[in-house]
Amino acid sequence: MNKFIRIAVAGLLASVAVAEPALASTQGSFGSTSTGSVTINASVPGRVRISGLSDVTFSNVDPSVAASNAQNVCVWSNTSTKGYTITATGSGSANAFTLSSGALAPVPYTVEWAPSSGQTGGTSLTAGSVLSGQTSSATNSDCSAGPSASASLVVSMSSTTLQGMTAGVTYNGTLTLVVAPE
Amino acid sequence: MLPSLGAHPGGGRARNTRAGVPRLTLSLAFLAAAIGSAQQAAAQKVRVTNLSDVNFGLVSNFQADARRSQNICLFSNSTGGRYSITASGSGSGSSFALSDGAHTLPYEVEWSDQSGQSSGASLAPTVTSTGRVSAATQQTCNSGPATSASLIVVLRASSLTQAREGNYSGSLTLLVAAE
Repeated sequence: MNKFIRIAVAGLLASVAVAEPALASTQGSFGSTSTGSVTINASVPGRVRISGLSDVTFSNVDPSVAASNAQNVCVWSNTSTKGYTITATGSGSANAFTLSSGALAPVPYTVEWAPSSGQTGGTSLTAGSVLSGQTSSATNSDCSAGPSASASLVVSMSSTTLQGMTAGVTYNGTLTLVVAPE
Repeated sequence: MLPSLGAHPGGGRARNTRAGVPRLTLSLAFLAAAIGSAQQAAAQKVRVTNLSDVNFGLVSNFQADARRSQNICLFSNSTGGRYSITASGSGSGSSFALSDGAHTLPYEVEWSDQSGQSSGASLAPTVTSTGRVSAATQQTCNSGPATSASLIVVLRASSLTQAREGNYSGSLTLLVAAE
């Protein structure tokens, strides 16, 4: 039995209050040397980025055993605490975590999230519900430097679910992860 | 009698000439040159004006460099309008870095001898860039060209993507000298 889950992601940004720039430029006087100065202001908003995601494929799984797929993901946050929230939605009815195959009944899967890499389990996510209090260890926005990953995404299907699926049929769906600065 | 070479009674500096005359001539020439040089140095003056603060506001795009340029009045009454410029920032060791009190955000500074430019030669902190030339004809540019140089401040995307959330500020000082 072939089952296929495709994952798409999106990042959100949150802005910071922009400080009023101080007017402090000074002009030089006429002399053998002349000195002037300017003040430079810039506001950097809170930003996050999720990357390093891979599609999840359960292929020829044994229905008598639960299937699970864990992958390492890069989540980067530039807030002072490097914190973020994550919200997952599926492509099923009302954003449910389900796979579908034409007229066959959709089948559920579960999603777990851990704010560290290398995990095979984590906090269960509920479709459409925000999981807050996550912290990233990433030092680079796409983990190209520093830690190569900072979180774990685990997608699973229970044995009961697998046993209820029709053999030889491909099921698929999309899981969307929205990360926001916190 | 002509004096022999190297045997001048006045000390041997004025060769094949009468004693004393050449030395006096050289001394007067040197004095005149020195006075002329001093007068020229005293007359060399510069002035930098029309500087404005640089406000990047909320930087929303981390994927591209953020760049702000402004037209400056740089006047030099040296021959050819020559001047040098030295920039220093308010970061550690006069580096070009903004701060939010806890974190830093580096920036870069570019300079052009012409106004209206959006890029120029990179300036390094506290390193004097020489051989600059100004087209200004009045010390505050209230006649002739309205501006004569461009100051460009750049926030690199590579720095923005690493910056922590916050409000950053700093100062940039420009020291101009006649050349």
